[in-house]
Amino acid sequence: MTIKLKVALAALVVGVLVLVGCGGDGSDDSGGAAATNQIKKGTTVKLWIMPNGPDPQADMEKALQPFTEKTGIKVDVEVVDWGVQLDRIRNAAVSGEGPDVTQAGTTQVPFFAALGGFEDLSKRVGDVGGKGAYPEGVWNTTQVVGQDGTWAVPWFTEARVIYYRKDVLEKAGIDPATAFTDWDAFRSTLETIKQQVPGVSPFGSPGKKAFDLVHHVMPFVWDAGGAELSDDAKKSTINSTEAQEGVTFMADLIKDGLYDSSELERDGTQVENQFKGGKLATWMGGPWVLGSVKRADDENWVPAARKNVGVAPMPKGPTGEAFTFVGGSNLMMYKSSKHKNEAWELIKFLSQDQVQTDYASIQGMFPARVEPQQAYGESEGADFKAVFEGIQQGRTYAPVPQWAQIENAYKGRFGNILDSAAGKGESYSPETVQKELDEAAKEADGLLAQSAG
Amino acid sequence: MSTTTLPTLETEPVVAVKPRRRGRLRYSRNRLAYWLIAPAVAFMVLVHVVPMAGGVWLSFKNLNTFTFAQLWGAPGAGLANYKAILFDAGNPLRSGFLGAVQNTAVYTFWTVAGTLGGGLAVALLLNRPMRGQKVARTLMLTPWIVPSFVVAVLWQFMWQSDVGVINKFLVDWTGLLGERPVWLLGGNSLWAIIIPSIWRGLPFCMLIFLAGLQSLPRDLYEAAELDGAGPWQRFRYITLPLLRPLIAVQLLFGVIYATYQFAIPNVMLGTNPGPDADLMMTLIVRQSFSNNLFGFGAAASVLLMLAMLLWVAVWWRAFRRDLEVPV
Repeated sequence: MTIKLKVALAALVVGVLVLVGCGGDGSDDSGGAAATNQIKKGTTVKLWIMPNGPDPQADMEKALQPFTEKTGIKVDVEVVDWGVQLDRIRNAAVSGEGPDVTQAGTTQVPFFAALGGFEDLSKRVGDVGGKGAYPEGVWNTTQVVGQDGTWAVPWFTEARVIYYRKDVLEKAGIDPATAFTDWDAFRSTLETIKQQVPGVSPFGSPGKKAFDLVHHVMPFVWDAGGAELSDDAKKSTINSTEAQEGVTFMADLIKDGLYDSSELERDGTQVENQFKGGKLATWMGGPWVLGSVKRADDENWVPAARKNVGVAPMPKGPTGEAFTFVGGSNLMMYKSSKHKNEAWELIKFLSQDQVQTDYASIQGMFPARVEPQQAYGESEGADFKAVFEGIQQGRTYAPVPQWAQIENAYKGRFGNILDSAAGKGESYSPETVQKELDEAAKEADGLLAQSAG
Repeated sequence: MSTTTLPTLETEPVVAVKPRRRGRLRYSRNRLAYWLIAPAVAFMVLVHVVPMAGGVWLSFKNLNTFTFAQLWGAPGAGLANYKAILFDAGNPLRSGFLGAVQNTAVYTFWTVAGTLGGGLAVALLLNRPMRGQKVARTLMLTPWIVPSFVVAVLWQFMWQSDVGVINKFLVDWTGLLGERPVWLLGGNSLWAIIIPSIWRGLPFCMLIFLAGLQSLPRDLYEAAELDGAGPWQRFRYITLPLLRPLIAVQLLFGVIYATYQFAIPNVMLGTNPGPDADLMMTLIVRQSFSNNLFGFGAAASVLLMLAMLLWVAVWWRAFRRDLEVPV
C-alpha cells in the first residue's frame, strides 16, 4: 500500500470513527542546498495560500504577474481555507502529494517542521538577507526548539495593539498619549470611560470561542514577567505567580465591570464588529482593522467609530515591558517539491521589499522584513506607526512542535477563568485562577511529554 | 444430521438432498439477488467496516504529533489509551472526560425527550381537523429543512445576552425576568444547545408520528367512545400502544443521533465549550484534530461506539416484540 493511500485511508478512518464514535517523500533532493540554481522557464510552481485580504486569489495572481513575466515560471495559486489548512498542509507533508510552497501560520511552523515533510532552508535564506533582515520575534517563528534548521521564510506580520475611540476619550477628558502607557493608566482610562461616557462599554475582548484568545492574554502574562514555557521549553510555566498576575489583571477587568462580559459569548470577528459598530470604546486587535477603516465596502463600521479610530501600543506591565503577540504567516517549501529552485525563486520574489509592502497593505498586514516594515509603518501616519512599534515589542511563543495543542489547552483554561470572573461557572477567586492555571500546566506538560516512542 | 425430503410421488423412490446440494440449489435460485446486493455490500465494507476496523487499530497506537507521519506503523500503545481514559485520573489528557460523559448523557436525554415528546404533541394537534391545517403542517416542517449549521448560527445570535431576541423578549418586552441571563456561558450553555437541537429535530418526529396517527383505524376510537372512554383514555390505551413501534424506532435513532451530535455545539460554543457543555464529540474532535492525539481520540471514539452498541442491545430487548411483523 502506498503512503498516499495510507494517508487517505487514515484520514477516512479517523473521520468515520469521529462520526460513529473516530513516508516517504517524492524527491531525493538534499535539503536546502542551493548547489545549482538553474531555473527552467515554463515550469509551473504550485502555491497554497490562505484567504488573505478581500479577494485572495485575484490579489495573489496579480501580485505574481511580474514574477512570471520576469522568470518565465508560472504559479498555480490555490486558496485553502483557514478551517482546513492545517489538515491539508499536514496531509500533504506526510503523503508527499502537495504543492511546492505553502503559506503557514507562524505558530504552526514548528508542528509542520516536525512532520519531516518540509525543506530546511538554512542554506538558501542568505539570499533573502537571513536572520538580520527580520525582527527577532518574527525570525524566531522560522525555528524549532531542539532542531537545527530554518523551516520557513517570514512573509507578512501582524501584532496586537490597543484600538480606541478618540471621541470617547475626548468626552471622558482623557489624553490618548497617556491613556495606555501602563497597566494602571489602562485601568484608570477604562474606569473614567465607564463613569463619564454612558452607552459605550469601556473594553471588550472575546472569550474561549475566539481562536486567538491566548494572543490577547499572553501579553499580560509576559508583561508581568511570566512565560508560557520554561526556557528550555520542557515544562509549562503558565501556573507561575507572574503568569497568575497577568491573567488576573485581565480577569479583574471583567469582575470590576470594565470589560463587557457579554463579549465572552462572541468570537473574535463578532467582537471586532462590536468595536466597528460603536459598542466598545477600546479593544485589542491586529492591523487588518486599521486597513479596513478606508474600505467603504466594510459596512460593519458606524461613521462615529470609523472617523475616530485611534491605535496605541500595548500598556507596560509591572516589569516595565510592553510585550505584544506578533504573528502572521510564513512560507514553507515542501521536501517533495520537484521544482525546488523555481519554488525558491518564488519565495525570493515574495520576500522583496516592495512586493511584501504591496501585498501586506492589501490585507491590512505589515511586511515581515525590517526595512519595508519600518517604511510602511512610518508612511501611513501615527496609527500605523503604533502598530510598527508594537511589532518591535512583539513576542511569540516557544517554537515547539506541540505548541498548537498547548495553546488550545491554555485557551480552554483562560476561557474558564474569564467566564468565572463574569460570574459563570466556578466562583472567581485567586484560588480558582490558580487551579485553572495548574490544570493548564498539567495538560501542557502532558502534551510536552509526547514523543515518537 | 437432518436431510430435506423433496416432495415425492407414491411411485417414485424417496430422494434425499445433501446439504451442499441444498446450498447450491439456494444459491442458484438467489444468484441474481446476491449479485444485485454485492455492490452495496462492497460499498458498506469499504465505507463502514474497513475504516471502523482501522480506527479500532489506531486506538491501540501511540499516534501523536511526532508519529503521525508513520500512521499504521506508529508505535503500539497496547491498552494505554483506554487505561488513560478510563482509569488514569492523573493523566492530564483525560481532563474533562467524565464531565463530557455526564454532559452528553444530559444533552441526549433532554434532546430525545423534547424531540419525541414535542413531536408527538404537535402531531396530535395537527391531526385534528381544523382550518389552515396544511399550512400549519408545512410551517412546522420548516426547521427540519434548515441545515444544522444555520440553526446553530441563528440560535447563537438569538441567545446573546445583550442584543439577542430571547433576552429582549424575556427582559425588555415582557419583563418576565429582571436581569439578562447569559446563555452561552456557564451552566446555561448546555440548555443553549439542547433547545436548538430539539427545535431542529422535532419536525421530523412530528412528521413520522403524524403519518402513524393517520394510519390508525378510526373504528377503534369510535368503539372506545361508545364504551365511554375519554380523550385521555383513548390516547393512553389506543394511540400510545399502536404508536409504540414508531416510538421505538425514533428512540433508537434519536439517542444515537443526539449522542453523536457535533455541528450545533461546535458552531455555537466552539471546539472547547468549557466544563459545563463539553460533549463527548467535542472532546473527541478536540483531542484528535486540535491536539493531534489520534490514538487517544480513536480510543474515546471506540468507547463511545461500544456505549451505543450497549444502548442498541438494551433497546432491542425492550422493543423487539413491538417490531415483529405478523406474517
